[in-house]
Amino acid sequence: MPLQQGSARARQRTVLLVGIAVLLAALVLAVVLASLLTHGRHEVSPQMLKWKDRGTTKNLQEVIVGRCYNYITAQHPELGDKDCLKIWESLKDAFIYKNPCNITPEDYQPLMELASHPIPCNKSLFWSKTNDLVHRYTKSNQNFLTLEDTLLGYMADRVSWCGDPSAPGINYESCPKRNECESNPGSVFWKMASKMFAEAACGVVQVMLNGSVEAGAFRSSSIFGSIEIFNLDPDKVTEVHIWLMQNIGGPQSESCSGQSIQRLINILEERNFKIICEDNYRPVQLLQCVHNPDHTDCRLCTNSSAIP
Amino acid sequence: MMSLFSPLLFVSVLCMNSFSAVQGKKWKGEGTTQNLESIVIGRCYEYIRLVNPAVGEKNCSQIWEAFKNAFINKDPCNILPEDYELFINLTFHTIPPNKSLFWENNQLLVTSLAARGRRYMSVGDTLFGFLADFLIWCGQADSPGLDYESCPTMAECENNAVDSFWRIASVTYAKHSSGVVQVLLNGSAEGGAYPQPGFFADYEIPNFQKDKISQVVIWVVDDIEGPDRDSCGTNSVKTLETRLKTLGFDVTCTDNYKSVMFLLCLDYPDHSKCAFASSAPAAQRGPISSDRGGSWNKLMFVSFAGFLFRFALVY
Repeated sequence: MPLQQGSARARQRTVLLVGIAVLLAALVLAVVLASLLTHGRHEVSPQMLKWKDRGTTKNLQEVIVGRCYNYITAQHPELGDKDCLKIWESLKDAFIYKNPCNITPEDYQPLMELASHPIPCNKSLFWSKTNDLVHRYTKSNQNFLTLEDTLLGYMADRVSWCGDPSAPGINYESCPKRNECESNPGSVFWKMASKMFAEAACGVVQVMLNGSVEAGAFRSSSIFGSIEIFNLDPDKVTEVHIWLMQNIGGPQSESCSGQSIQRLINILEERNFKIICEDNYRPVQLLQCVHNPDHTDCRLCTNSSAIP
Repeated sequence: MMSLFSPLLFVSVLCMNSFSAVQGKKWKGEGTTQNLESIVIGRCYEYIRLVNPAVGEKNCSQIWEAFKNAFINKDPCNILPEDYELFINLTFHTIPPNKSLFWENNQLLVTSLAARGRRYMSVGDTLFGFLADFLIWCGQADSPGLDYESCPTMAECENNAVDSFWRIASVTYAKHSSGVVQVLLNGSAEGGAYPQPGFFADYEIPNFQKDKISQVVIWVVDDIEGPDRDSCGTNSVKTLETRLKTLGFDVTCTDNYKSVMFLLCLDYPDHSKCAFASSAPAAQRGPISSDRGGSWNKLMFVSFAGFLFRFALVY
């Protein structure tokens, strides 16, 4: 009987030891699994979708609100009744906590209404593939306004934003590129804002196109070619002036007599607009010469000794 | 009763008039820019995230506090440049060599030329200048609030919040400029292209570092339709050149520097000073119009006349 008692106790001890060993093993496994899983996700908020383009601009709220007040207070006091905080809230509500591939124009409707303002006639300046030049021009010459010189465009220029269904609802890591999904917050915004900018235009409108791009100065796939020209109101807009700018020193890929320009002219004429096209519109060419002063295309008459 | 009433009325009206004069604006200048805090903080993030991310991470709330504390709760006529020292320390960043652009009497031109710091970095393109450019601010003694009604002008008191700010900003900017530095002067300005007193004369030149600056390039540009009051080697510009050379700097001076001429020409594209010498290829690029309502013929005539005129100018 003492032998039987001794072996029962030994069995009990063994079971206990095995139990503890199993528990320890399970604990170790759990720790290893947990660290593996979190290590894979520690750079990104848990469960946020991953995209190919840059994420939401950091401190977006401060930038947007600051730009709104800067625009109104410093440049356009006649818009003094705009509520910049409300405008920011309406922008945020358009995309926060939403899947960034499911954005609709309705999401931006409140923002568009709060931030839109009238545009004086004869001042609308559209553009395609001339981003740098056209905005240098409007900074120097207050007679024309691009979309980026209106409150909406001014606030949104060069910043990016997108949401995500999981907290905190804004994705600062990445946002969808156009080819990942068309209905992303940025694309939907700019399409809508461009449409409204075109609808608001009146009198003579201008467009600056690039005569040095291989693919042609006018492209049907651009926002100008696919949205803006079709939203100009023939009852309000009388003429379209095309400024076809070539880079100083070329290449001179296209001029006013070029194919894509002819296509543009046909589309506009069908909508009953009068069109004037000018190669290398002088004031803008002067601007191009600022940083190419010694180029032969930029020689001023005053430099020649023949002029009295 | 009546005999007492009219003088009483008269006196009370007088008092009311002087009372309203006191209740009216304290100072002659415009008041603090509305929403100053949001604008300054917004500009701070705009700068570090978008304009010049190379300056790295900055604490924009802390920067705003330092800015505000320089002038709130103080006599608005007793703000000294040193009051902004913490602000300057928090916003300081190096200025790339050869990019400094000093100026007098041509701020808008400088803004266009500098292209937001991509070509040149004027004081308004540094973080500390960017935050304050075109803004107005002042406080009041014994109150933590900003004065939105009015702020003192230079004429009312020199040590006002805005001018003291630009003094220390200019000093800092000049001290940390290096390589080739440029200065753009207005040859049509009354009082001379190189104004004395002036920020450039009193706060910037005295802080040029001899061991850091390799050359000073002076550009004197007249307004397109302005008089040619000053140019290189004459009047105030001569004074400037002499002063810099005496200080030991290598100095060059150019009249009507071409790049700037083009900028001025933007507002006067048809002025004779702005006519292009290369007219032959330009003539082929006359405007093309669509045939609508008889305007084609008018346009052909106008462009032909324009071509003839330009042709006549060249020859």
